[in-house]
Amino acid sequence: MSLSKRRIAYLLAGALAASTLFTTPSMAEERPNVTVAVQQIVNAGALDVLREQSNVGARVFYSIYETLIDYERQKPDLPQKPGLATEWKRIDDKTVELKLREDVKFHNGDVMTADDVVFTFSDERFGTLPEQVAAQGEGKELFTRSAVSGEGKVPPPEVAAVAARAWPNLDRVEKVDNMTVRFISKVPDPTLEGRISRYGAEILSERAYREAETWYDFARKPVGTGPYKVKEFKPDNVLVLEAHDEYWGGKPPIQELRFVVVPEIASRVNGLLSGEYDFITDVPPDQIKTVDDQDKYEVVGGPITNHRLLVFDKNNGPMQDPRIRQAMTHAIDREAIVEALWGGRTKVPAGLQWEYYGDMYIADWTVPEYDPEKARKLVQEAGYDGEPITFRVLNNYYTNQVTNAQLLAESFRQVGLNVELDMKENWQQIMDKESGPRMLRDWSNSAPFPDPVASIVNQHCQNGQQQQIGEWTNEEFNELCIKLETTVDLEVRRDTFKRMLEIAEREDPAYTVMHQNAIFYGKRADIDWHWSGLQSMDFRAGNFAVKMPSN
Amino acid sequence: MFAYILNRVARAVLTLIIIVSLAFVILRMSGDPAIMILGPEAPPQAVEAFRKAWGLDQPIWVQYAKYFGAVIQGDLGNSMRDGRAALEVVWERVPLTLAITVPALLLNILIGLPAGVLAALFRNTAYDRLIMMVSVIGFTVPSFVMGLTLSLLLAVWLRLLPSGGSGTVAHAVLPVVTMGIIGAAVIARFTRSAMLEVLGQPYIRTASAKGVPWSQVITRHALANAAIPTMTIIGFMVGSLVAGAVVVESVFSWPGVGRLLVTAVANRDLAVVQVILLLIGFTMVAANLAVDLLYGWVDPRMRTKTATAGA
Repeated sequence: MSLSKRRIAYLLAGALAASTLFTTPSMAEERPNVTVAVQQIVNAGALDVLREQSNVGARVFYSIYETLIDYERQKPDLPQKPGLATEWKRIDDKTVELKLREDVKFHNGDVMTADDVVFTFSDERFGTLPEQVAAQGEGKELFTRSAVSGEGKVPPPEVAAVAARAWPNLDRVEKVDNMTVRFISKVPDPTLEGRISRYGAEILSERAYREAETWYDFARKPVGTGPYKVKEFKPDNVLVLEAHDEYWGGKPPIQELRFVVVPEIASRVNGLLSGEYDFITDVPPDQIKTVDDQDKYEVVGGPITNHRLLVFDKNNGPMQDPRIRQAMTHAIDREAIVEALWGGRTKVPAGLQWEYYGDMYIADWTVPEYDPEKARKLVQEAGYDGEPITFRVLNNYYTNQVTNAQLLAESFRQVGLNVELDMKENWQQIMDKESGPRMLRDWSNSAPFPDPVASIVNQHCQNGQQQQIGEWTNEEFNELCIKLETTVDLEVRRDTFKRMLEIAEREDPAYTVMHQNAIFYGKRADIDWHWSGLQSMDFRAGNFAVKMPSN
Repeated sequence: MFAYILNRVARAVLTLIIIVSLAFVILRMSGDPAIMILGPEAPPQAVEAFRKAWGLDQPIWVQYAKYFGAVIQGDLGNSMRDGRAALEVVWERVPLTLAITVPALLLNILIGLPAGVLAALFRNTAYDRLIMMVSVIGFTVPSFVMGLTLSLLLAVWLRLLPSGGSGTVAHAVLPVVTMGIIGAAVIARFTRSAMLEVLGQPYIRTASAKGVPWSQVITRHALANAAIPTMTIIGFMVGSLVAGAVVVESVFSWPGVGRLLVTAVANRDLAVVQVILLLIGFTMVAANLAVDLLYGWVDPRMRTKTATAGA
């Protein structure tokens, strides 16, 4: 077939028109859509920070909600920085005053004011009003507000319990003027600024909360001030966020941000390498090379504000003797574990604390040194007779958990302790007292704000899980818990914390820290993005850019 | 016939009650939904509040009685994770599951039946060995290995298809092909065995000896008689359509009933698990009943037996 000049001209014109037709939308669409494959979006099925208590939730919430005080999340020492508040000051031991940022708009277009902040920390939001509690008992989703006319929402009771844990001493939040609020504690509280910055203190829109039909309706499509607003949420499947163009921090760099659930790591890796996903989360250390070996992809990540612990129950069998527990703390070669199981990509911390504690960080503290000889001697002194010590283990709930447990059991055998692994299916079986003597288990502890109260007090003091389930207690330690929470003098607090570490990690071990946990993300190498030790994923303009290809 | 169906339905209801009761006891005894859903770092007070709100702090027999009483009144309960009615949570996943299981079943039949017949007709030839070799591979390779291999080949290396997720027809191709290969292998093996057994029967020899063309012997005599065992296995496959494919849905991140079941069991979201079990039980029973009725249609001798048994 021969083509005339006119026909060629028509074809070229047609091709040009077609190319214009096809390229125009993408040129107009200047911002990319990004897909992040995650193991899970949230565990508790709702997007409320006062219900979702998992690490996975923290990953998505930072795109939706914000706190008054934020962190330089990509810096290793995580310094605090202004968030929805531009400045704050201590009025007295019990009070912090904050100036709110001007012109912050919620996803529904409302401007944030002190009223929204007061509501966020109100009894009604926490679900603790007497009429709410009564309605809860009757299984109702709404209650009639006695203070003003109209109905209010009844959140699930765990919301109140989480709020009570996050704010054990908060008396009230007061509106000083339209753009100024005061947080007032019932007792002197040195941790107020930390709590204001913590996960769980995100500000939400009062009007949007009230307009939602039920708490669940709000929790499925919450309205915050973050750079992305919820477009669609299907639990266990997908969370679609879209750019909130009125975001106070500048136009978000991504048009549509999708978090899709891909439970299998092999499927996540395949999806990344096939171009289906732009990011994948929770890459285990043994998969890092698979991704890193590809030119167009890379793995980023590192230690986070979460430590892996081995937890002791001091009530049963040989574990009643502190020397046995001490022997265990000295029998673990933590550096070898970090090297062998994590490829050296995380580190052994200085006990249950993080550098971001700042002034409260006890720099000269260390985990018990690896000393098998000392461990053997302690075992002998305790008169250990070989009674089996059961170590309850889940099937890789934590990265490398089973291999780690096998290494630990072998290390304990080397110093003369007869440790047997007892595989369990879930946490209830791990904590169960009825199914045999509870002795050893795995756990991890986070620090949601930069103070020892966030971890050692929250998890190991009287109201913490370890004492609540009856694994461990110590009279002196418990007195120090109260002192640490209510004393404001820095030196006294430091001394108190150090003494608590001495008791719980050396003298009468409640737990022993093994290593800092780490999270790794696989991503396209042409995307400039930095991970955070706080486990949140930041897709704001300052932390996300697609690199231009170099010629 | 009516008495027969009534009898089957009564047995089915009893089966469903047993399934639901066993699942209730086993799931409740082996894990606490509060810790599963709120996580191991959740404050103990939150865990307690959750337990109380959902009645998990009551003795198990009280929980069971309440659950069963509600089920009888048509209330299948709410999901402990997202608060919605369990039936609604499950129901929205059913179309997604059927979107891959129905095409996979068609693929199973379209490939499996002819392959099995062909292997039987060419018994002990290279065709037979080739078909059976492929069938053994399809039958024995675990579905997650098959799925990941196909994903590696067609998504990662050739970039022809998406590696997982849902939303477009292209997303469904890999799950359908994975289940299609596995199911076809099963049907091919069953069909081959059934055909070989039938081909050795005297009436086949008689038909051949009487000069009936071989093609007619196969289509009118052999295939009809071999259909019974093959229909049984296809009936099982139809029965499990709603259950989906737990592994395949996980490998390809397909948000169907199978993956919901995994999450619901892991979280001990009991109402959701129970609805799925009821749905599976119901479709399985319905499929078996349909197959039983089809037996009579395919084989008139069965009709007589059923009528006698029902009388």
